[in-house]
Amino acid sequence: MPATDNQGSFLNRISIRRNQVVSMDGGHEQELEDLDLFQKHVADRFSDLFSQPPQQPSPDSSAESPAPDALLSISWLRKLLDAFLCCEAEFKAVLVMGRDPTQFSKPPLDRLIPDLLDRSVKALDICNAITHGVELVRNWQKLAQIAVFALQQQPIGEGQVRRAKKALNTMLTSMTLDDKESGHGKSTERTWSFGRRGGGAASASVNKDRTAGGHFRAFSLSFAKSWSAKQQIQAMSSNLVAPRVGEPTGLALPVYIMSTVLVFVMWALVAAVPCQERTGLATHFPVPRQSGWAQAVLGLQEKIGEEWKKKEKKGIAGVLDEMQRMEKAGLWLVEFAEAFQFPMESSKADEVAAQVAELADVCRRMEEGLVPLQLQVREVFHRIVRSRAEVLDVLDQVGKLTSPVPY
Amino acid sequence: MEPPGNDAVQLESAEKIILRWDSTVSEDARERMIFDGDRSEIERYLHAVDEIQRSMDFATLSDDRSKSGAGAIQIAMARLEDEFRSILIAHTAPIETDTLVDSSHSASRTDSSVGDLPDDSFSYADDDSFTGSELLEGAGESSRSSTIASYRSTNSIREIDLMPPEAIEDLRSIAERMISAGYLRECVQVYGSVRKSVVDANFRGLGVEKLSIGDVQKLEWETLEKKIRRWIRAAKVCVRVLFASEKRLCEQIFESLGESTDDACFTETVKGPAIQLFNFAEAISISRRSPEKLFKILDLHDALSDLLPDVDFVFEAKSSESIRVQAEEITSRLAEAARGILSEFENAVLREPSRIPVPGGTIHPLTRYVMNYISLISDYKQTLIELILSKPVTGSRYSGDLTTPDMDFNELEGQSQAPLALHLIWIIVILQFNLDGKSKHYKDASLAHLFMMNNVHYIVQKIKGSPELREMIGDTYLKMLTGKYRQAATGYQRATWVRVLYCLRDEGLHPTGGFSSGVSKSALRERFKSFNAMFDEVHRTQAAWLIPDTQLREELRISISELVIPAYRSFLGRFKGHIESGKHPENYIKYSVEDLETAVLDFFEGYQEELGIDSSASNVKCLGNMKCTWSNHNDGPDKKASAYCSTRLVPVKDPEV
Repeated sequence: MPATDNQGSFLNRISIRRNQVVSMDGGHEQELEDLDLFQKHVADRFSDLFSQPPQQPSPDSSAESPAPDALLSISWLRKLLDAFLCCEAEFKAVLVMGRDPTQFSKPPLDRLIPDLLDRSVKALDICNAITHGVELVRNWQKLAQIAVFALQQQPIGEGQVRRAKKALNTMLTSMTLDDKESGHGKSTERTWSFGRRGGGAASASVNKDRTAGGHFRAFSLSFAKSWSAKQQIQAMSSNLVAPRVGEPTGLALPVYIMSTVLVFVMWALVAAVPCQERTGLATHFPVPRQSGWAQAVLGLQEKIGEEWKKKEKKGIAGVLDEMQRMEKAGLWLVEFAEAFQFPMESSKADEVAAQVAELADVCRRMEEGLVPLQLQVREVFHRIVRSRAEVLDVLDQVGKLTSPVPY
Repeated sequence: MEPPGNDAVQLESAEKIILRWDSTVSEDARERMIFDGDRSEIERYLHAVDEIQRSMDFATLSDDRSKSGAGAIQIAMARLEDEFRSILIAHTAPIETDTLVDSSHSASRTDSSVGDLPDDSFSYADDDSFTGSELLEGAGESSRSSTIASYRSTNSIREIDLMPPEAIEDLRSIAERMISAGYLRECVQVYGSVRKSVVDANFRGLGVEKLSIGDVQKLEWETLEKKIRRWIRAAKVCVRVLFASEKRLCEQIFESLGESTDDACFTETVKGPAIQLFNFAEAISISRRSPEKLFKILDLHDALSDLLPDVDFVFEAKSSESIRVQAEEITSRLAEAARGILSEFENAVLREPSRIPVPGGTIHPLTRYVMNYISLISDYKQTLIELILSKPVTGSRYSGDLTTPDMDFNELEGQSQAPLALHLIWIIVILQFNLDGKSKHYKDASLAHLFMMNNVHYIVQKIKGSPELREMIGDTYLKMLTGKYRQAATGYQRATWVRVLYCLRDEGLHPTGGFSSGVSKSALRERFKSFNAMFDEVHRTQAAWLIPDTQLREELRISISELVIPAYRSFLGRFKGHIESGKHPENYIKYSVEDLETAVLDFFEGYQEELGIDSSASNVKCLGNMKCTWSNHNDGPDKKASAYCSTRLVPVKDPEV
């Protein structure tokens, strides 16, 4: 409702004025209390994310199914975004509500707020890039589903194996190409030149199959070639400086905490989901070891950093749990398909069934989780936009208050 | 029903055909495409596939025939997938840009390079002067109509043929068979991967840049204005031609082939480009608000809301819901931005802080700027009336807040005015309030009155000059404004002339107090002397003052003449004799009546050489981020104001005062 929106911001201003009065008496204690609570809640939320239930052997012993919330799984990412949204709401309450707007024009906020706004804009772009990346994962999921569908037929014959292999090869090629080259703007023209040939020969030549497979670049770049997720993360974290101990920090601390949370969440997303140009992504950025709220963040950072290093070393496509599993099962099944001879031994059949079940499980989780994840990323996007607008609003107010020489 | 016996023979020959084209077996089958070749071979192959599939429908699972049939089908499907891809790839030529543009525009494109072709073909002549001149010339109207003319071809959905009908027919006959054999996913996969590249290429051809939100926040607004214009054009082509045509192609190939395959294929194909397209508008919608952005934001808003029905139509499928939602979100965010900017503007007008009086009491640059701004607002009336739904927040009468003017809109009752109109009135109220404050910085009270008269008169003229504005402001308030500048004129006359005329009174000239008695010569001499001195002084100063409007200048001079000349004539008539009979009458009677009449003609001409005002008077500060583009183009005497304006103020043409 347009009219009420306007009113909303107006009422907001009123409430700020009212709270200003409150903050004169005893407001300071309230402020410290809010700050403590904020830190505690950040700590709690990230501890939850850190302490995952141990892997449980799944009821059917054929395949061990990891816990649904395993680190860097889709549902874990969704929890992470939930945690972010909660922290963010609380942060905004601490920062904006009941705040004397003139504080925004005084140290330390005058310096911190522009950085905060700059980081939010970068985060918005990352959100968009992630939405794009999730779309790519959905594409792989559809290819994996072809393989699952083909290999679930009984008994497995030459035709099904060929069909599955074709789909899995396209998937694996896309995983490698889109991940490796997503920064280098390989244009569609190049893929076209071998697309037709590769497509025609897809089922003939095994090796060629793997590299070409009739693969068309599944997704174009989301931004200009120069845009790099790695650099965005770097820029977001480069000016992340903890307020010095012993200084009267005031709002500097919550701004710093929230910025760290933001950078961490964006970093984890970039690591987990295919994203334009992330080669060489930092595995680590400064988080104060001594602060209580930071312990879980540090722990998570270490774990994800390790996963990322593993990915870069082994050349696997992603650290998203489901993607790792998908790639592993996919590779196994392609290998199986290449050596396939009819009829299959029954022991082999069991193994194949287990891998197919694994792939099916991954597909199911992706089917259930990816669209909600995309929606949630969009929600994060909206939230950041709204908060940024509110902070800008306060800055404008400061401009008005310092009239008549505001310019 | 069992298949008849001779079907077995047919089946066998069908399998042979399939196997002959098995590319895993024969080199020839690998090199050639069925659909590149002979029509009868195509028919034969498709018929063979049908044959086998039909036989499988009748067979039972354990049947041997079923097994060999299944094998043949799998071979055939792999083959058809390749054929499908091959046909798609054969028809990937990008859309001719010609088809996107009216033929009448093609001439303007011949000399432009390919890179900026789409932009050029739609640009209009005054491209460079666009930013500034639009604000001052009230160009909103004209530029919009020319835009409409160039966009005629994309004002509604216009699908074009992306492929020849035969190719579509072939694709459909393959798709049908793949889907009925359970190869839907492969079909969608292949279709999506090829068409996506084509859409991408066409998308690039339109010159849509892949700007990130960060990029957009860093760009200068002028640069963005150009990009917004280009984007609006591209968005229309994208939605109404490009995406709509893709949608139709999907329908032509996949319609009623089950499970809304056409939707799936379409979404798969255009989702990426669509999101990218809207990303730019989204970046604009969340950029920082400042007054100069209002009109381009409104253009963008209008273009988008105009596109929304077509977006809804093109992306009607459930699978592309997110695109519809995003387009709507951006539109409402732009609306919110427009509202925010209007209130920012009100604030900026209220707080505009320049204190240095404009020399000569002429029209303040702020007045020009604000009035041109609200004239433009009235050009965008149609949109803004829908967007602005709440009345302005005014100061209240008893608030005692001296920094905000009071306003009670009930005074304007009798006219049912839209909130937008109230905002315009409120902006004028604020402007007057600010000007009132500025007038206090004149040391000469007469000049303060003149200044108010000039400025309010300008406001009135500006309102009368625009039918749209006049309609919105309404007669009641216009009358109040007219009264206000008349009052200022009266105030001026009082402040200047009461004192002067006081010299010409009779009282005090007759020592005994009666009119019949004699005249005190010395008193009379003093009177003449002080009249001369005062008139001299007034003439000297006020010739430097300025009334830019000729008619107003004329009227005020006439009223001065009417006030002064008869009084002087009668004074002179009565007392001339007393002076002329004495020594050196020329020392006392400096002016004839005619002299005065001529002298009055010098008033308010803004004669610079007589200006006693420091010409280094410093700048008017700009209204925050406002691009101050006021001017003094038409009325010569007003030229001084441009030297007086800060360098940030870009003088541009003002067509009409």
